Amino acid sequence: MKNLFKVMVIVTVASLLFVSCSKKTEPTAMAEEKKVALKVGMVTDAGTIDDKSFNQGTWEGILKAGDELGVTVKYLKPVGTTEADYLKEIGNLYDAGYKFIVTPGFKFETTIFKAQDKYADAKFVIIDGTPHNADYSEFRAEKNVISIFFAEHESGFMAGVAAALELKDGKFGFIGGMEIPAVQKFNWGFQQGIIYANENFGTTINLDAENIIYQGTFSDVAAGQQLAAQMFDKGVSAIFCAAGGVGVGAINEAKSRAQAGEEKWIIGVDVDQYSEGIYEGEKSIILTSAMKRIDVAAYDMIAEDLKGAFQGGATLTFNAANNGVGIPAKNPNLSADVTSKVAKVYADVQNGTVVVSAEQGSLIK
Amino acid sequence: MIDIITGIFPYAIAFTIPLLITSLGGLFSERSGVVNIGLEGLMIMGSFSGALTILSLEKVLPHGSIWIGLLVAALTAGVFSLLHAFASIHLKANQIISGTAINMIAGAITVFIARNITGSGNIRIKLGLNRVSVPVLKDIPFIGDMFFTNTYMTTWLVLLILILANFIIYKTSFGLRLRACGEHPQAAAAAGINVFVIRYISVFISGCLAGLGGAIILVTYSGEFNGSVAGLGFLALASLIFGQWKPLGILGATFFFGFASTVANVSQAIPVLATIPAIILKIFPYVVTLIALVVFSKSSQAPKAVGEPFDQGKR
Repeated sequence: MKNLFKVMVIVTVASLLFVSCSKKTEPTAMAEEKKVALKVGMVTDAGTIDDKSFNQGTWEGILKAGDELGVTVKYLKPVGTTEADYLKEIGNLYDAGYKFIVTPGFKFETTIFKAQDKYADAKFVIIDGTPHNADYSEFRAEKNVISIFFAEHESGFMAGVAAALELKDGKFGFIGGMEIPAVQKFNWGFQQGIIYANENFGTTINLDAENIIYQGTFSDVAAGQQLAAQMFDKGVSAIFCAAGGVGVGAINEAKSRAQAGEEKWIIGVDVDQYSEGIYEGEKSIILTSAMKRIDVAAYDMIAEDLKGAFQGGATLTFNAANNGVGIPAKNPNLSADVTSKVAKVYADVQNGTVVVSAEQGSLIK
Repeated sequence: MIDIITGIFPYAIAFTIPLLITSLGGLFSERSGVVNIGLEGLMIMGSFSGALTILSLEKVLPHGSIWIGLLVAALTAGVFSLLHAFASIHLKANQIISGTAINMIAGAITVFIARNITGSGNIRIKLGLNRVSVPVLKDIPFIGDMFFTNTYMTTWLVLLILILANFIIYKTSFGLRLRACGEHPQAAAAAGINVFVIRYISVFISGCLAGLGGAIILVTYSGEFNGSVAGLGFLALASLIFGQWKPLGILGATFFFGFASTVANVSQAIPVLATIPAIILKIFPYVVTLIALVVFSKSSQAPKAVGEPFDQGKR
């Protein structure tokens, strides 16, 4: 037993060595000469900083500001997802001198409602939400808060048009996370995109009510895989996943089918997910992605503040018109013909010729 | 209706297998007298080390890397479980606390190391296991669709381990000693059995199997390590109790969980099932387990000495 103990000590020490040898990858440091006084903090929403979605997108924008604009950056991860947890971390950032705080996600709405008064000399940016009190009776954004919204419906619309044009016929599906406005708008836009393609480009894509699902979480990987498997078994050829971790399971299912020779596609969300769907060489099952340029939004807010143009109290919308949403610039799975047609449609959305509704109307769910 | 069942079955089995192998790991540990509440942590450890191994080897060995990853996962989790063994066998610590510590360490240290090595707390592997259909057998009507289509090789591996475990526990002298250590360690010691060694081996086996379970999740349905196995370790523990610490009981209990969870997950995509509120389907397996535990509590088959540190002097 003594020997066993020795072995364990050696293993532990060795693993510590291993850890300390590995290099730091987080590029928080920046060139000394560019340092400016502004300190930008971020509090993460549910999930980790590298969730390949909301938190990561926001953080990448902040990091870019750190590199290019020389601001000092830091993020804190709350232990839970309650208002008290969020407020505590905002307080910690504030006390450490971080007076420009970015919070991604609608869950921060009530938190920022309180924080805007408590920390009146700090500036807040809330993405996908607007400050209000707990029972929704009072909506108020002080001069130190910017609310940012994205036109998810336009993003979903473009992805729907592109996917319909590329595959021309067959059945599509949609898997959402929680049934919250941002996800619903993706869904409604996607449906309108398919209808638009069917009417204007002669495609015949079906999107049945039974293939439009809100899974209910953003984390259940197993459920994502199983739902995608059921849809694929029913003959669905492409699924639009706006569902965080649930989408990870769906992507995995599509990859294993692609390996087995079936032609199944996933349409990514929030960021360009192409690289996550690679199953062989450079081939990916991500047809295209409905993007929200969260990083651009975070970066822009910091840049504007440095110029003294912080639009406190405003609600900003990032949409097609200001290139805040859309599909990625490069889509290796879309043909050149489709890409040029999609570009025309995008221009039409930008100049208002084509209007995408943010309401459910007669659409499914 | 039959179509729906045969359509769900392969995925339900895929969901059951990691649960089954982890639960089987718990069985080895508990039958030898050591409570292993750290199964969750050991699964995370397996999932992590498997993901890291596969990630670094998949360019060189696209398919071999998966099996090497599974092996590494089992061994790493096995070694990690020795921490629990050391605390609860050697130091006679409270086994629940030691197991909880395992869960807490595993969830944190894996993400920490992953971030230092790969720059991200999520490790995604490019390729998982292929699904294969068993030739000839898959053509049997009904049964072929349910059991022999779209299966993973790991499923057969785990079933093989189950049969082997059943044999070891009931038919070999090692199994007899193992069970004796869990029922009455003092009597076992009096008969010349080294209780410490048997318990160490059992906990090591439980670590290996739980690690394998975690890695199987990775190579079959999730494809990504993200610092959690969504509570399957605790579900495996519940299955162990539900299955009354018997290999075949566990098979039934885990399959019940696997099938019920799968039905709940996919119900939204199947019109017939979509009429039942999803919440009812989701809580169904847990409610049944609670009722079953209450019913069985009088006639529990738990090993008598489980949870008690071995004290040579006590009679």
